[in-house]
Amino acid sequence: MTQGDTKKVSFFFQSVKDVFAFFFSLVKKVRKTKIFFFISFLPVFMAFIVKFSQIFSLARNIEGIYIFNNMIMTFYMQFLILILALFYGTSVSSEELEGKTLTYLTTRPVSKSAIIIGKYVAYTGLVVIMTILGVVFSFLVLNLNELYELSLYQILFRDVAVLGLGLMCYTAFFTFVGTILKRSIMFGLIFSFGWENVIQYFPGSTQKFTIVHYLKSLLPSPSTGRFSFLLFRLEPSSTGNSVFMLFLITGVFLVLACVLFTFKEYIMED
Amino acid sequence: MTAVIQTQNLSKWYGNVLGLSDVTLQIEPGITGILGPNGAGKSTFLKLITGQIKPNIGRVMIHGQKVWNNYALFAQIGFCPEQDSFYEELTGWQFLTNLLKLHHFSPEKINEKAEKAMDIVELTKDKDRVIRSYSRGMRQRLKVAQAIAHDPNIIILDEPLNGLDPLGRRKIIRLIKEYKGEGRMIVVSSHVLPEIEAMTNRIILIHQGKIFAQGDIHYIRDLIETHPHIISIKCSHPRLLAEKFIRYDYVLKVHFDLQKKSLLVETNNRDKFFSLLPSLFRENHISVEEITSPDDNLQAVFDYLIGK
Repeated sequence: MTQGDTKKVSFFFQSVKDVFAFFFSLVKKVRKTKIFFFISFLPVFMAFIVKFSQIFSLARNIEGIYIFNNMIMTFYMQFLILILALFYGTSVSSEELEGKTLTYLTTRPVSKSAIIIGKYVAYTGLVVIMTILGVVFSFLVLNLNELYELSLYQILFRDVAVLGLGLMCYTAFFTFVGTILKRSIMFGLIFSFGWENVIQYFPGSTQKFTIVHYLKSLLPSPSTGRFSFLLFRLEPSSTGNSVFMLFLITGVFLVLACVLFTFKEYIMED
Repeated sequence: MTAVIQTQNLSKWYGNVLGLSDVTLQIEPGITGILGPNGAGKSTFLKLITGQIKPNIGRVMIHGQKVWNNYALFAQIGFCPEQDSFYEELTGWQFLTNLLKLHHFSPEKINEKAEKAMDIVELTKDKDRVIRSYSRGMRQRLKVAQAIAHDPNIIILDEPLNGLDPLGRRKIIRLIKEYKGEGRMIVVSSHVLPEIEAMTNRIILIHQGKIFAQGDIHYIRDLIETHPHIISIKCSHPRLLAEKFIRYDYVLKVHFDLQKKSLLVETNNRDKFFSLLPSLFRENHISVEEITSPDDNLQAVFDYLIGK
């Protein structure tokens, strides 16, 4: 690498850092963030309700960690991280067009790729924080009586890591979708609750065309029990393969988003 | 003088709609006014020279370098867009300092430059208010502030006086002239001739996506002087007034607007016509409600010049 190249790379990372600082401070102030922060805390409210029920012996025999695992698999994995990634990922470029603020960024000495990466990192960072806070609080409330059990924290750590990887991957995918499509939310909803929810249960390698397949592969497989005869079930990939695929998908979609954003002409309607 | 901005056969279409057609220009240092009615192609031209959009045909060069995706060039360029859009949740100060961060200045320099720009546009007192609460004029001044804060050599302003009160307009005009004195280059667009006239005598007339004329402002002024003007007078006795007007050879046509109860007079000598009015009103005891000049705008001038 020549000295010029090193300078270019360091300038790029400086630009990403500056864009990140700008948008991380901005995104915390927007109304959308307040709404999603509330939604991401819904499991904590639920956890409190469950805990109160347990205290008043309505469901004392159900373990906190069992409820927590179900919460992760249903609310977080199938709903929250998809919604957060969809609304923040697509907005990386679309909010600049809709708000007609793109001009302020593209008339600065920062590359368009640095704008995409800087905003992506800022938004992913925010949604990861939002999600982790909800997960940790839910975990603490649900396992209030077993907090001395160190093995439970392994589960918490694993779940947080998987959700973090999920947010990283989905946000990258939706960042790309936002740069290419005008009505990216509609497409994103169809992808999230159609494609991802259905294809993941297809037999053979078809389910590997979903992101959720690799996320679920990182979690312990739920026992199929009396439904083991069903054709539609998760056939997990190995841990190493799943992590590699999640990083690969993230990288590919971020690069595509940067290339598209750099060369596509965005015309803001007057 | 060497041209800073050069365009060659620059053309832009939005689908089937022509934005700009075959524009070849050389813009030299100093103040250049881009003048044209709404929808003429001024904003398209400015978006093309600031690399916001890509030309379909032709090319744009600044200091001999291409503009599209040449982000390094923007360290020297300040652009004030026409659209009234902001990151509404930020304060004026946060907006400005965050944009200055993108120029990679040190935190001290950012504060220094932001303070200076806020002071120039007289927003220092309101810098900690959220942009959402700013008045139209304050928003316009903030847009100008972000274009000048990083001390660019080339300043491109798209309708910078829109929404400003007369005092605000005068201040921005004075600022633009000061920048010219400092050796910077300013390109400013407007659809109001007197605004451009107050800033520069070097103008580019743009109409229907084409460069209609360019050069000294006196040229266009001379053209306008020979342009017949229509003056509307709302008064107590329009028919009596019409009878008096037709005696003068510089009054070309007189007709009535029955709906507005006014008299429309066409003259080829506006100055003589206006000096005649007071005596006519006085001698004939006519009380006047309103005198307006419905075609005293750039569109009318352009229509006349292109022979519509």
